Amino acid sequence: MKSVKDIYLELSGIAIAVLLALACGFAVILATSSEPLTALSSLIIDPVTNPFNIGTVINKAVPLMLTGLALAVVFQAGVFSMGAEGQLYMGGFAGAIAGIYFDALPFWLHFVVIIGCAMAAGALYAAIAGLLKTYANANEIVTTLMLNFVAILTTSYFVNNVFKDPTSGGAARMAYLSPEVLLSKLIPGFSAHGGIVIALAAVVIVYLLLYKSPVGYELRLVGKNGKFATYGGISKNRVLLTSIMISGALAGLAGIVEILGIHGTFKENFSAGLGFDGIIIALLARNHPIGIVVASFFYAYIQVGAQTMQAGSDMPREVAVIIQVMLVLLVSAQGIFNFMKHNMRKKGGVV
Amino acid sequence: MSVLLEMKNIHKVYPNGTAASRGVDLQIYEGEIHALVGENGAGKSTLMKMLFGLEMPTSGTILYKGEPIALSGPRDAIKYGLGMVHQHFMLVPSLTVSENIVLGEEPKQGPLSLFRDRGTEEKQIAQLMATYGLKVEPQAKVETIPVGQKQRVEILKVLYRGARIIILDEPTAVLTPQETDELFDSIKALVAEGYTIIFITHKLREVMEISDRVTVLKAGKTITTLMTKATNPEEISRLMVGREVLFRVNKRPAEPKDAVLSVKDLQAADDKGAPALRGVSLEIRAGEVLGIAGVEGNGQTELVETITGLRRSTGGQIRYLGEELAGRSAGRIRAMKVGHVPEDRQTAGASLTSTIAENLILDHYRNPAFRRGPFLNARKIKEFARTMMQIFDVRAAHEQVAAGSLSGGNLQKVVIARELSKNPKLLIVSQPTRGVDIGAIEFIHSEIIKRRDGGAAVMVVSAELSEVMALSDRIAVMYEGEIVAVLDNTEALTEEEIGRYMLGLGTKTEHPERKEQEAI
Repeated sequence: MKSVKDIYLELSGIAIAVLLALACGFAVILATSSEPLTALSSLIIDPVTNPFNIGTVINKAVPLMLTGLALAVVFQAGVFSMGAEGQLYMGGFAGAIAGIYFDALPFWLHFVVIIGCAMAAGALYAAIAGLLKTYANANEIVTTLMLNFVAILTTSYFVNNVFKDPTSGGAARMAYLSPEVLLSKLIPGFSAHGGIVIALAAVVIVYLLLYKSPVGYELRLVGKNGKFATYGGISKNRVLLTSIMISGALAGLAGIVEILGIHGTFKENFSAGLGFDGIIIALLARNHPIGIVVASFFYAYIQVGAQTMQAGSDMPREVAVIIQVMLVLLVSAQGIFNFMKHNMRKKGGVV
Repeated sequence: MSVLLEMKNIHKVYPNGTAASRGVDLQIYEGEIHALVGENGAGKSTLMKMLFGLEMPTSGTILYKGEPIALSGPRDAIKYGLGMVHQHFMLVPSLTVSENIVLGEEPKQGPLSLFRDRGTEEKQIAQLMATYGLKVEPQAKVETIPVGQKQRVEILKVLYRGARIIILDEPTAVLTPQETDELFDSIKALVAEGYTIIFITHKLREVMEISDRVTVLKAGKTITTLMTKATNPEEISRLMVGREVLFRVNKRPAEPKDAVLSVKDLQAADDKGAPALRGVSLEIRAGEVLGIAGVEGNGQTELVETITGLRRSTGGQIRYLGEELAGRSAGRIRAMKVGHVPEDRQTAGASLTSTIAENLILDHYRNPAFRRGPFLNARKIKEFARTMMQIFDVRAAHEQVAAGSLSGGNLQKVVIARELSKNPKLLIVSQPTRGVDIGAIEFIHSEIIKRRDGGAAVMVVSAELSEVMALSDRIAVMYEGEIVAVLDNTEALTEEEIGRYMLGLGTKTEHPERKEQEAI
């Protein structure tokens, strides 16, 4: 754990990065829009002015939170998995199949089975990259990125052929799941679905797992100093495999929650990069579960703001992409900055 | 001969309080081969780093032809014709030999040209190689050539940059005898051309063979400089291991009981696969300290790693309290009450970005006493860490401080606290006080002796001979992967005697099949 001063420094650093990224977005708006004030207000104010938009922010934050957690877990173990996207598809796919074929179960058990299948599928799919790393020393960045394609294209084949709903016409999707198992609206008239409860529960569980459990202790130790872990008798391979499978389970959960809350069934390309957004969330949050909650809401807020801006002014929603990209740039630059500061301190100590 | 380079009363104190140089004087004559000898930790490397501009002395002066100079980087060093051949080669493996030689100093086709002038380059390199007998295929990739040739590339690199004083840091450590002879021929050719050579080594045979003068360093100080012709290996080794008592430990005579660890004919390979342990046998009994003396790199590291399960043995036995340790994992061995303070606490012995508490519970986090349901018991951990910090006098604000922010001595206390907290029956301590401030040294030593008196079997490995002598009841000397002598640490035992074994000048073991013999 860090001293209060360090945490303060870290937080103010992230805050500066966020403000700078927003400033860049604003600058673009001011420079190109013919009605900059309208555009700005629809970007910043509109997402929080009506219950529907607030609900949309929450719904968008849910999968980001889950993929963010998925990546935080592997990153803390020092594994640079980029595979949340593929695991999310596999989880969503398996969950949707369970949703269609185990329809005879009582709905609560059916719901549990769906979630369980999704998480198991995500974990097992992640295990492929994990095993390749531990037994064949294959670079996890490469394998997970490649496995993303495998997952996306395989599921795409199946929803276009084997599991395609015959009534779906031109759309590549499975049959809709029974409404009983879908995540219902939390409050009638308010668009937020029950996924937020699952996501927040996952945050608490991951927090406890990482910081309060023996598994988390091992996982973080391997991430911080693998040599020390080996010396202490901790099997690095087992920890790496565990972390990547937990990560896969969380990504699978993200996939099925997105399906149960938004789409109603598995649709081709339903994620559009949630697994990659999770990387940004984890980076922004410095891999801390609490930070992930804040970062997901912020990120979702910008995305919804971009939509309301597009609807309410002459600015396209792509401005949000500028802000996101600037964030990634600044946040990773900050990582480099910290690294340099650390090095300078070391060097300065010697001279 | 005129004095080319002079170091006067050089002191170097690192910010953590370690004094690496404590008054070094060195005079290098033009055109001589000057050997620099000393034990590990005597300050040879620090001295050379200061000469090469990688470190600045805390006080003292460096004179070049009588003029004081400041060396703040390798570029300054080369300005005065100082070149260094590092012990660990600094070459780009995927580039060719000639590309490595000219790297950064490529001859250009014209003053503004961006292109290498390969013709000039090849001519210059061929000439250097021919003059000094440093033959290497210029177009071969460096990764494909043998070690001896890599070293030649290093030397050529230094020559190409116009160095006139060449520092060779333990150049023969990696060479075969044949390659060593060839290197010596090249050195002689260089000196004939007016080059000056500073030759760092701890092999006395080489000092006698090649050097004109020899300077002995001990504990950061220059002991003396001798004409090689007017001295002999015995005198040098006596000066090297010295008499100065750095460590004082109060201890009663040991009362050894049953054997705790008994190693028989142990064999293991180093990281490169070369044999590092060639049949080591030793025994440690409860209530005694066995010291392992030896010049670093003679298999001590591999011995410790093999016993603690961090390295696979390729033959032999490790019996510990009646059980075989060979083939068991490091975790299993740690759980069998084997404590291990590793030689490198920065990387293996501690996780610097973790908290002190997290470092301390390495052996306990699976223990039910430290659990609360499925979770770690935070209160219990805090209590435990605080107690440990108090007992072992770890000076930090609280147990949640990052271990990396501690001084060398305090960090070592954390490591030792952890290893002692499980009441080890066998305690293996490597370099217990390396880089540790004076204040902590005494404390660490007395903790080790306390464990011995409590009935633990203790093995101490240290590059500091005086430390081994202060702590041990018996001393085993390692040389080239073998134990060449096992000695009772009595009043009569001298550092000179151990020093002779350390340098491979004799053997004395308890093996009945080997006759006691003493050379020189």
